[in-house]
Amino acid sequence: MKKIEKLFEELTNTQVWRSMFRGGTWKNNARDRAQHILGNVWLHLHPARVRPRSTRFTYTWGLGGLSFLLFLVLTVTGIVLMFYYRPTPELAYRDMKDLEFVVSLGKFMRNIHRWAAHTMVVFVILHMVRVFLTGAYKTPREFNWGIGVVLLVLTLFLSFTGYLLPWDQLAIWAVTVGTNMASATPFAGAEGPFSSLLGVGLKNDARFGLLGGTAVGSATLVRFYVLHCIAVPFLTGILLIVHFWRVRKDGFSAAPYPNENPQQKVETWPNLVVREYIGAIIMLIFLVAWSLLQNAPLESIADPNVTPNPSKAPWYFLGLQELLVYFDPWIAGVVLPGVITVGLMAIPYLDPDPTKGVGYYSFKERPFANIVFLTGVFAWFALIVVGTVMRGPNWAWYWPWESWLMHKPPDPPTHSLPLFLGVGMIGIYFGLGMVLPRLIKAQFAVRSAIIKVFAGSVMVALIVGVLPGFSFIQGFWVAFGLFIYLVGGVILPTSYLKTISNLRYAVCMVLLLLFIGTFLKVALRLGFNVKYVVAIPQVSLNI
Amino acid sequence: MGDTAQPVQPEVTRRSFLFWGWGALLAFLASATGATLRFFLPNVLYEPSQKFRAGKVTSYPLGVTIDKTNRVWIIRNEVGLYAMWARCTHLGCTPNWFPAESRFRCPCHGSNYTAAGDVIAGPAPKPLWRCMVTQTPQGDLVVDKAIMENRPGAREKAPFFIAV
Repeated sequence: MKKIEKLFEELTNTQVWRSMFRGGTWKNNARDRAQHILGNVWLHLHPARVRPRSTRFTYTWGLGGLSFLLFLVLTVTGIVLMFYYRPTPELAYRDMKDLEFVVSLGKFMRNIHRWAAHTMVVFVILHMVRVFLTGAYKTPREFNWGIGVVLLVLTLFLSFTGYLLPWDQLAIWAVTVGTNMASATPFAGAEGPFSSLLGVGLKNDARFGLLGGTAVGSATLVRFYVLHCIAVPFLTGILLIVHFWRVRKDGFSAAPYPNENPQQKVETWPNLVVREYIGAIIMLIFLVAWSLLQNAPLESIADPNVTPNPSKAPWYFLGLQELLVYFDPWIAGVVLPGVITVGLMAIPYLDPDPTKGVGYYSFKERPFANIVFLTGVFAWFALIVVGTVMRGPNWAWYWPWESWLMHKPPDPPTHSLPLFLGVGMIGIYFGLGMVLPRLIKAQFAVRSAIIKVFAGSVMVALIVGVLPGFSFIQGFWVAFGLFIYLVGGVILPTSYLKTISNLRYAVCMVLLLLFIGTFLKVALRLGFNVKYVVAIPQVSLNI
Repeated sequence: MGDTAQPVQPEVTRRSFLFWGWGALLAFLASATGATLRFFLPNVLYEPSQKFRAGKVTSYPLGVTIDKTNRVWIIRNEVGLYAMWARCTHLGCTPNWFPAESRFRCPCHGSNYTAAGDVIAGPAPKPLWRCMVTQTPQGDLVVDKAIMENRPGAREKAPFFIAV
């Protein structure tokens, strides 16, 4: 043991070793270590000294660093897998089978690539939630938060493009559904609103550009291969550089100094670097164990004519798939994801408390931001749970304890509202909804107001339930709509958006009303079988 | 020295030159981006033909016959026969036929259609598409998925319907 240590010391003092790292003879003191952090191209992502709180595990949970580690794991295992994979419909599936059964370690490489991808989606989302909850997106970090949102979208897009490559049933149908959403884009998609006015058709729309044809085929496979292996990782890498650069330049962490004293920083090495290495080792052990214990699924070979029943997207898109049940694809597939992305990026610029709760977890100092954001995250995951465990064959509703062999009665017929009624409803909802919180001058005690609204909604549910011609289920949906609108669209903005400028207020209210409106539409469908509130088939405009 | 000549304002100032110079560069970049986007729309497609023969017209029994290789349903009723493209108008999955309910039900988002192709439940925005059907002199059915119709009225007439 002693001998090995001595040998290592001699080795690190050789000219060859010293030439690899900047800065003279190694004396292993604080100055040397700081020099090493600054002089090393990889480690100088860190400052030499950091705020004590930013090294605390329960502050960051290591989520950003581990997301980057997962990106590296995916890059390495992805490059390895590329050696055996040929992106043509004739060969792709066979190569997957070869990887599974013939290639040494092929199955393991595929498993770890798949499980690391799932884990990366989880960790990027959790990283975003952590940054939000600690207010670390506020000035001067607004722009970097926006970069982070784009990186989340790219993470999902990397997963989506990777899904086609195995060329199995899951692959082809997930991509068929996903790319058909592109054809629902307003103006740019053949089946989207207003595109017929511009002469956009099957062979020149957004979907055609994604697929390289009119259906998922060999041209699509090559396109997604290039996107997955080169184009999107390249773009992601560039944005990661910007992301890290800004993290470093904006003070590395938003955590406040102890006693407001910037002198109380601690050394990055060992305090932070050691924690990062430990986190990375634990993550790698976790991934290796998972990949040894569970195999990545591979369904039967892609059949462009037969869809599995039910056909489910990967879990992180199942919330979106569930929303698609209630809306025309241009809303659920294009407008809502677009609004969510832009809305997330807009958060730092809309914040009603821009200086409060920066660098620590605090619910009381930022009640509005936390309630709205956490409700959004919760709703997204609730939809994922519904899509994952509540949906069975023909996308019918099955409780988790019900067998999928059990026959479910077909859905009741749906109908759209008359045009004048639908346009009037949307006009009143947005017109009145935008101004109401500014018109109300009274101050609410928020908690007791919410309790009162809840009690009132329960009463309404019971009253509607006993009315002739209505059921208690309809009563529930009326009360649900009433509750989320009164709390989210009236009480919260009246109480918390008093002080922000008119422009910020208007953007906040549009985003809030769209968020609430999404669930009001779901309630209208489930309670009253309303298909579309507004339907103008001539220009494919359905809301 | 007498009167000095008024300095003549040059027709092209430094400011206007730069304005048009930068403007031209931006216009070039915009059109180059547009042209590059056009690059991604292929001009030749290597996709299977949309037109195929589907056996004798008289060989189809009453009801829905599923043709999995060509992704169509051949539907025979009391008066004749028509072919529907087996693609949900919502997001393109293949619905399944449930004879007991006389409905097509889509496995992806739960759209329901009648045998005529009309939407009765779920999110699909449009009726199913019917394909052009013709008959050869030998009595073979020819289906062409490149020519389609879904408007009630038009879809019940030739060339989207064959009286049998």
